[in-house]
Amino acid sequence: MRGAGRLTVGALAVAAPWLVAAVVPDQQRYVVHVLVYTALFAALALSYDLVVGHVGALSLAHPAFFGVGAYTAAILATRLGWPFLADLLAAVLVAGAVAAVAGVPLFRLTEHAFAVGTLGFAVVAGIVATNWVEVTGGPLCITRIPKPVATLSAWYWLALAALGVVLVLYRGMTSFRLGRALHAVRDNEPLAAAAGIDPLRYRMLAFTVGGGLAGGVGALYAHYLSVMCPEEMTVALTVNLLVIVFLGGVGTPRGVLIGAVLFTALPEVLRMAPTWRLVIYGALLLVIVVRSPAGLEGLLARRAGAR
Amino acid sequence: MALLEVHGLVKRFLGVTAVDGVDLTVERGELVSLIGPNGSGKTTLFNCVTGYLPADGGRVLFRGADVTRAAPHRIARLGLGRTFQHVSVFARLSALENLLVFLQQHQEEQLLARLLRTPRLRRLEAEAIERARTLLALVGLAGRASAPAGSLSYGQRKLLAFAAALMPDPELLLLDEPAAAVNPTMINQMKEHILALHRQGKTVLLVEHNMDVVMDISERVVVLDHGQKIAEGPPAAIRRDPGVVEAYFGR
Repeated sequence: MRGAGRLTVGALAVAAPWLVAAVVPDQQRYVVHVLVYTALFAALALSYDLVVGHVGALSLAHPAFFGVGAYTAAILATRLGWPFLADLLAAVLVAGAVAAVAGVPLFRLTEHAFAVGTLGFAVVAGIVATNWVEVTGGPLCITRIPKPVATLSAWYWLALAALGVVLVLYRGMTSFRLGRALHAVRDNEPLAAAAGIDPLRYRMLAFTVGGGLAGGVGALYAHYLSVMCPEEMTVALTVNLLVIVFLGGVGTPRGVLIGAVLFTALPEVLRMAPTWRLVIYGALLLVIVVRSPAGLEGLLARRAGAR
Repeated sequence: MALLEVHGLVKRFLGVTAVDGVDLTVERGELVSLIGPNGSGKTTLFNCVTGYLPADGGRVLFRGADVTRAAPHRIARLGLGRTFQHVSVFARLSALENLLVFLQQHQEEQLLARLLRTPRLRRLEAEAIERARTLLALVGLAGRASAPAGSLSYGQRKLLAFAAALMPDPELLLLDEPAAAVNPTMINQMKEHILALHRQGKTVLLVEHNMDVVMDISERVVVLDHGQKIAEGPPAAIRRDPGVVEAYFGR
C-alpha cells in the first residue's frame, strides 16, 4: 500500500461513521458498534503480532495481559474514581509490568515449551480472575465502568486513535535497527548472539511492549462495554488472535489489519453462531497454515509480484 | 599480552571430556589454524571461547579481559567475530540486512534512540550500508543485496556469513570450517579472502578439515586429538610430526 492508497484507507476509516449513517441509517448503531470492535481487535492483534510475528515467540498468554489491563482500569475507575486517561495509562503500565515479570521464567522455555508455558499462564490468569472475588468480582463481573465518551461515533474515533497509536509504535519497533534486531533473533538466535544481540533482551522487549499495549486495549474494551467479566480473557480470545494474525499474515501490519477486519466484522455481520465460528476458525487456521503460511498478505504480495 | 589466551580449558559432556586442559595463545596479526581428527574437540573449544558453551574449567582471556563465562553477545561486542560450521544466515532478512545486523550492535543500542531514529543513527546507518555494499562486492554478492538470504545458494550463504562476520571489523576472527562442503573454486576464493585479511594485519583463528588449506595459509598450526593439544608449530613441522601423523592415520 503506497502513500495515496494508505491515505485513502485512513480517510475512509476516519469518515466511517458518517458513511454508515448515509448508507445504512436504520442499522447505524449496530454497524458502528462492529467498527469499534474491529478497531480494538486490530490494535490487540498488532500488539500480539509484535511477539508472534517479529521475535517468533508463539505466546498464548496475550489474553492474560489484555485481562490485567481491563481489570486494572475497571477497578481504578469504579473503586477509586480515577479519571479515564489515568486508569488507561495505569492499565498499560501494570500489564507491561506483569508481562515483564512473567517473561523472566517463561523465556527460559523455548519453542513448544514456551507456547505451553504461556498457555498455562493465561489459564491461571483466567482462574484468578474468576476466583479472586474480592478484587475482580469473580463471575459477578465488575459493572458500571464509566464511559469516557458518550456517543458511539466518539467511541469509534477513540478506538481508531488507539489503533493509530499502536500502529505507529508497531512500525517504529519493527523497522530500522530495532526491527532488524528483533528479526535477527526470530530468524536465528545463535547467529544473532554472534552479531552482538542479546536475544533475551529483544524477546523481553517485544513481550513487554506487546503485553502493555494489550493491557491498554483491555482498558478501552472494559470502558466501552462498561462491564468486565472473566470470560473476556479466555483461550477463545487466543484462538481469535491466532486466526487474525496467521490468516492475515504474520509479521505484516497490512495482513494483520486485513485479518482483523475480516475476522471481527464479517462474523458479526453474518450473524454467525459462536459455536460454529470456533469450528470454522479452527478449520481455516489449519488450511492456511498448511496451504499458505504467509496468510492473505502472502497471497496479496504474490499477486502484486506477478503483475 | 596476547590477543587471545586460553589456559587449561576443560569441557565435559556427561563424563566425556571433549576438551581436556587445552592452552592456546593467539597473538595480534597471526593466522593460526586449529586442526585435528573428527571429534577431537575443535568446535567445542571454539564454542567455549565464544561463550556458546560454558567451560567446566580453565580461563579464556580476550584482549586481557576474562571472558570465561561471558555471554556470546558480550564476547562478540568485545570484538571477537565468528562464523559457524553449518552455514548460518538470517534467512528472511536480505543479504544487505544480514550484514547490517552485524555492525549495528557495536554502535548506539539505546532503544529510544533507535525508535526515534536520531540523526546520529541515520548517519551511522548510511555509513553501514556503504560498508555492507563494499563487503558484498568483495565476496561477489553485490547483485544479490536485496535477495532474502534464504534464497541464496549454499556457497553464497557461506560467503555472506563470512562477509557479515567482517562487518564490525573484529579484532579476532574465528572461522569454523570455511572451506567445508564448498566446491574447489570457492575453496580457493575463501583462501584468498583469508590471506587478504591476514595481509591487512587481521588476526584469524581457523578451524579447518581441509589440510591443503591449512598447510597453505597458516603461520602456525595447533593440533588437537581427544581433546588434548598434541602438537603446535609451523605447517612444515606439523606435517612431519609423528604424533600428528599417528592421530590422523593411525599406526
